[in-house]
Amino acid sequence: MKKDIAIVAYQCKKCGKLHYPFHDRCLSCKGREFDQIKPQGNARLLTFTRIYNLPWGFDQRYLTLGIAEFENGIKAMGQIKADETTALQVGMMMEPSWEPVRVHAGEEVYGLKFAPLS
Amino acid sequence: MRDVAIIGAGMIPFGRRDEDTLIEMLAYASLKALDDAGLGDKTVDAVYLGNMGGGIIQHQTSIASSLVDRLNLLPAAAETVENGPASGGSAVKNGLLAVASGYYDFVLVVGGEKMREVTGWRATDFVATMTHPEVEYPYGITLPGMAGMFTRLYMEKYGVTREHLLAVSIKNQEMGTLNPYAHVEMALDREGIFDSPHAVVNNPTAADPLHLYDMCPVSDGAAAIVLCPLEMAKKLPKPPVLIAGFGQATDTHTLQERSDPTDLKAVTLSAQKAFEMAKLKPSDIHVAELHDAFTILEIAESEHVGFFKKGEGGKAAASGKTRLGGQIPINLSGGLKARGHPVGATGVAQVVDLTWQLRHELPKNRQVKNAQNGFSINFGGFGNNVVAFVLRRVEQ
Repeated sequence: MKKDIAIVAYQCKKCGKLHYPFHDRCLSCKGREFDQIKPQGNARLLTFTRIYNLPWGFDQRYLTLGIAEFENGIKAMGQIKADETTALQVGMMMEPSWEPVRVHAGEEVYGLKFAPLS
Repeated sequence: MRDVAIIGAGMIPFGRRDEDTLIEMLAYASLKALDDAGLGDKTVDAVYLGNMGGGIIQHQTSIASSLVDRLNLLPAAAETVENGPASGGSAVKNGLLAVASGYYDFVLVVGGEKMREVTGWRATDFVATMTHPEVEYPYGITLPGMAGMFTRLYMEKYGVTREHLLAVSIKNQEMGTLNPYAHVEMALDREGIFDSPHAVVNNPTAADPLHLYDMCPVSDGAAAIVLCPLEMAKKLPKPPVLIAGFGQATDTHTLQERSDPTDLKAVTLSAQKAFEMAKLKPSDIHVAELHDAFTILEIAESEHVGFFKKGEGGKAAASGKTRLGGQIPINLSGGLKARGHPVGATGVAQVVDLTWQLRHELPKNRQVKNAQNGFSINFGGFGNNVVAFVLRRVEQ
């Protein structure tokens, strides 16, 4: 079963600016009260990279990562489900999912993944 | 506030230093700076030590306390300053303010890092600990990865090409062959890393669109300076180098929250503050050390600090304007790309190299003739905490 995307963004009650991750004071007006907002729909790829020198904890040849913007304006980093033959382009639409992104101390850590929509 | 001068500068060769501990490297660089300052057996009032990873890599804390004990600088005040890859720049700033305030007269600033003690896998993870712990780090993002995402956007917006990045790699590694303190003393052959079919093997993609030779190495190393009030420095034999201006600025922790991720606001602001304090402008600078952890950063910083207009930095590098004898020589030390990047040492090493430039002590093949004003950028995080300095030669 597909898991809910467990990220929450914070919209300033005073000026409406959207934040992800959380800040104690709004980055625009310094307001301290926020509404919690869930990401909606698919996401547009803003930038991406494929790295071949991975950090400790990742036992694989490469990792594709990107930042994408959801339909309601939330921007977030995630892993991209694409092999080396997949042609990625800035601006393409991605389907988000909530899946294991690494293993830490024997436990799976969940996070955002994006799959290119053809 | 008092004017503050650099009266001593020292560095040990960067690279892989298996034979030395972190404290030994810091001690060797400190002794070189103290001897250069001609302080003899006198102590200093305070020590500021730039280091990012001693607690993680060496499992050692209170490093500054350990250093003053080893050097017998007791009972000098001592503390470690941590600001990611800008730890060195922040340590210099703390030393500057301590002397400028009138509280201390003689201050030792030293920066160092020992990164080759662990595998590349561990070192990459250590550097990645500066990314956001909840929304970036868990995904496996690395600093080269951040640079790759930034480069893609910068290329699209400003027309930077791989040719432009290559010009930075070739220039800085060429300068590294002339610098006895450089980690990488190997000139690059354009054909071997770009034009020939072998380039795919010799210079593979590291963090798309960046390649292996767009990256700085992982290094061990240390560098140090001694500061005192300018009026006292004028009585010493070597020409004092005035810290004429400094600036520091921060930006959002994550790249995704910047309205324009190609805009390195903290670089622009820190540079503006440094130039304003020094009452100088970018065109007054004769030599610069920029934080080229990735080739794209030398280009982007050269634009953000005002040496070139946005979109002109890559072309300037490719046309030789940033070489010795060009409009504004950048990274004649080889920069992070060739001198190396022991993260806590870098900000201090940049100031050491500029001090040697402004004292006119370098060999002709690296010395800017009659250089009077120098400039540095030490880039912390992915541009979220940046320290800039303007240095000026003072004639006695």
